[in-house]
Amino acid sequence: MKRVRTSGLAAVGVGLLLAVAACSGGSETGGDSGDAEVRLWLAGTDTPQELRDYLVETFEEQNEGATLVIEEQDWSGLVPRLQTALASADQTPDLVEIGNTQSPTFTYAGAFSDITDMVEDLGGDQLLEGFVEAGTVDDSVYAVPYYSGARAVFYRKDLFQAAGVQVPTTLAEFREAALKLQAAAPGGKPNFSGFWFPGQDWYNGIAWIYSHGGDLAVQDGDTWVGALSSPESQKGLAEVQELFADATRAPRDADSAEPWVPFNNGEAAMFSAPTWARWSIDLPECNKGVAADDESEQAKVLLAEQQACNEEKTGVFPLPGEQAGTPATVFAGGSNIAIPAKSGNQELARNLLEIIFSEEYQTMLAENGLIPGNSSYADALGDDVYAQAARDAALGAKLTPAAEKWAEVEGARILEDFFQQIAGGADLAEASAEADQLIADTLN
Amino acid sequence: MSATRSTPAAVVPPAPPRAPAVGPPAAPPGRPRQRSPRRARLGPYLLLVPALVPVAIGLGYPLVRQFVLSFQEYGMAQQFGRPAEWVGLRNYTELLSDPYVWGVIARSVAFCLVNAALTMGVGIALAVLMSRVGRVARMTLQVGLLLAWGTPVLATMTVWQWLFDSQYGVVNWLLAEPLGMTGMRQHSWIIEPASFYLVATVIVVWMSVPFVVFTVYAGLLQVPEECMEAAQLDGATAWQRLRYLALPMVAPVLLVVALLQVIWDLRVFTQIYVLQRAGAPTRETHLLGTFIYSLSKEFSMAGAMATIMLVITLALTAFYIRRMLREEA
Amino acid sequence: MTAVAARSRRRRGTAGRRLLGLAAVLVALVWVFPIYWMVSSAFLPTNRLRTPEPTFFPTDGTLANFRRVFADPTFFRSFQVSISVTLLTLAVAILFAFLAALAISRFRFRGRKPFIVTILVVQMIPAEGLFISQYQVLDTWHLVNAVAGLSVVYVAAILPFTVWMLRGFVTGVPLELEEAAMVDGLSRTAAFFRITFPLLAPGLVASGVYGFLQAWNEYTLALVVMTDPDQRTLPLWLQGLVEANRATDWGVVMAGATLISVPVIVFFLFVQRRMSAGLVAGAVKG
Repeated sequence: MKRVRTSGLAAVGVGLLLAVAACSGGSETGGDSGDAEVRLWLAGTDTPQELRDYLVETFEEQNEGATLVIEEQDWSGLVPRLQTALASADQTPDLVEIGNTQSPTFTYAGAFSDITDMVEDLGGDQLLEGFVEAGTVDDSVYAVPYYSGARAVFYRKDLFQAAGVQVPTTLAEFREAALKLQAAAPGGKPNFSGFWFPGQDWYNGIAWIYSHGGDLAVQDGDTWVGALSSPESQKGLAEVQELFADATRAPRDADSAEPWVPFNNGEAAMFSAPTWARWSIDLPECNKGVAADDESEQAKVLLAEQQACNEEKTGVFPLPGEQAGTPATVFAGGSNIAIPAKSGNQELARNLLEIIFSEEYQTMLAENGLIPGNSSYADALGDDVYAQAARDAALGAKLTPAAEKWAEVEGARILEDFFQQIAGGADLAEASAEADQLIADTLN
Repeated sequence: MSATRSTPAAVVPPAPPRAPAVGPPAAPPGRPRQRSPRRARLGPYLLLVPALVPVAIGLGYPLVRQFVLSFQEYGMAQQFGRPAEWVGLRNYTELLSDPYVWGVIARSVAFCLVNAALTMGVGIALAVLMSRVGRVARMTLQVGLLLAWGTPVLATMTVWQWLFDSQYGVVNWLLAEPLGMTGMRQHSWIIEPASFYLVATVIVVWMSVPFVVFTVYAGLLQVPEECMEAAQLDGATAWQRLRYLALPMVAPVLLVVALLQVIWDLRVFTQIYVLQRAGAPTRETHLLGTFIYSLSKEFSMAGAMATIMLVITLALTAFYIRRMLREEA
Repeated sequence: MTAVAARSRRRRGTAGRRLLGLAAVLVALVWVFPIYWMVSSAFLPTNRLRTPEPTFFPTDGTLANFRRVFADPTFFRSFQVSISVTLLTLAVAILFAFLAALAISRFRFRGRKPFIVTILVVQMIPAEGLFISQYQVLDTWHLVNAVAGLSVVYVAAILPFTVWMLRGFVTGVPLELEEAAMVDGLSRTAAFFRITFPLLAPGLVASGVYGFLQAWNEYTLALVVMTDPDQRTLPLWLQGLVEANRATDWGVVMAGATLISVPVIVFFLFVQRRMSAGLVAGAVKG
């Protein structure tokens, strides 16, 4: 029987694995529709706690016996997570927030339920237009806009004054202002940028393409063609290249991340970012040295003073368009919201969607500085300079093309590479033709 | 080389120094004893089962599936229920007829060989150094290397990104300020592919050398001091003792470590991926690892590329595998 | 042997050795610099991290970043999850690998060679594209968002290397030792655990270190398997910290990363004496 004992070890091993597998089965979050737990995936930290609480309370009040669980997912890992979880009847959330440029891929793949019949109820024509398009396939709507956040330009008032520059009112004036600031280099820093414009920053760069009437890609029948070579796009790109050459010293190997760092260091007079960047402006002359974990009353007072000081020295304006008084067509960041097709709680998810598009909730979004999915509530944004800039910018903002495979263009970082080439002084027509080809190859 | 394997160095006494109970030295390895036929029938299979179960579930099935998918058209839509279509070898021909893919393959092989060679060179040198210095210096070096090996990659990669940052990188600051090379003040390290691979090599070697050092150092410890002393008495210089005595004795170790380095460096992913996100031109800097990942929305393509990569790895390591199988016979 | 080595080392020229010692310390300093930078950054407020003049010594540093990590309950929750996943993975992987190593080094059987080739080849296949299938397997078994589920895929990932390594150790222990013990009246199992098992310690430790590092630092699979905020491992928690505010507070992230590496370093220092012997024996028999 010796043999048996030795191989008994193996049996113990298999038993251990099975035991472990068995005991973990119970700790599952239930995908069973019977227990009526609705799970909402929110991406990133944009939705404030107060709004989450409101959703849970209201939903559980209106749907007796049902509970709402909100799970926050990091933006950086959202796509692989959706790719796996949405295909699982067991694990799928019942309502998901998804980046607007990621939306077409999942919509075309059939990951979401058709909610065309709800659109009128949720806001109809008042829903942010490009966002609805990003969630539409063959006239059926699968994803609706959750919120949008447009970009605005932040600037140092003292540096504007020192260089004798006014707040620009047209795109041409903006260009002049940036060049003038760069040439004057007020503040005496060696690597000064009139306008912080790093080489891979296509999020900001496409504003020039869009504002001149160009586009990244357009649909021609059943196929997509890159549109960077169109005369309109080329006009915008020529200006972009000039800004890269003569209005910035930002590195070519950097992207739109953390543009306030050089600004805070006094090395940039302007940068363009979502309006929430106001909370990241931290000029040394305003810093009160409050410890990061200090939550005393005194610290709060000091932080409020610090914020006021920063906002005193900083101005903000929407990037101006070609005509005075119109905003440029900037890139609209933001997200859509959709009901996964595999969710077992379709009805409850629809109820939750209705709460999200209620006047109360939409107003709360706006009060927190986000352009709500239903634009008729945008007035609740308030009328301080940041809200105004955000609203003006969002008015004409535009998304990336609503192509099925657009997310792959972003995954392959084609536009990052393309803008970097422009920043490096590449031949415009040649680089654009190449990028157009890559975009077309990827989209079709 | 089979002579080397029978030297005392190759037969490593497995006992730690503190276990005096060990009697006779180990029997020659690679020649498992014949047991009674009855035992040999079922026992080994039962012993393999526990290892095979998780590997089959967690790795085997996904790998087989990846291989099968590589002959289909399978993307996001198929994952959500659209039927997959069989396309035969189309994914393979599409990839292999694209000159860009061949560029990626060539770059990866070159990167892999250079990095594996550098890692081995530096690792062996440091291991030899370690065996020649006093306890304090040795412990300092060991702890330094351990830290580089053991810290989460997420954190070390962020720091490396900061060090080579164009605007605020410490490397540029050091070159420009104390060393007076003002032209390097805003130098972009990762924008040219050549310089990108230089930075990537520094990071990859930094992360892989500790494993090599510890393994080779342990190997050198096993070289009998008596041999070295005898050689010294015969007038051999330190270099000669190392080159003709110690290194041949640890050759089996070196071979295995080198093989692992080749496998790991060909698959290199995280370091390249993070550096690309830091602002490098993506298309010009793809290696096989990142290229496959960029295909991951089209699983069938990614699967085909993975199979191609397996073939390349096998080709690069065929020499070793053949040798190993011969010794197993 | 260590004593002999030490004696003969003492005989060599001391001046040359001091010089080499100095070189070793210098190499160590260069090697550890990025880690130093991480720790140093953890003591600085975020607005001091990326400035035209780098801060080499955080002499006026602050502990605020560390205090903020400790005030974060999700850190401790993730710590628990990570420890569970890592220990479960290690225990299962080492036990199973050990049995398999026993089989291929103590027995000759049909399929042995293919098995050895398979465990080698499996390590060559790129894993970046596998996560979808792996997720589907776990989903079928209701193992998503479960420590056991993540452990199964981790075990699968580290088993091949571990089997390969342990095989050398098992081969190295002479069977005669066990048989002698059996003559003294022990059963085979008892003889095995009393005699052979202790001799494998360095090998088990060496494999343990490798497995610990893999399981502790893995990100990609954990990302898709552990979506429930209560089930996140430390690397996921760290990534969450990067995105916790719309603008990343890098000082806190570096403090978090420093704290995550502490258990790794402790584990390392704890086992490193035995590890050297372990690594080499496994490799030789490869």
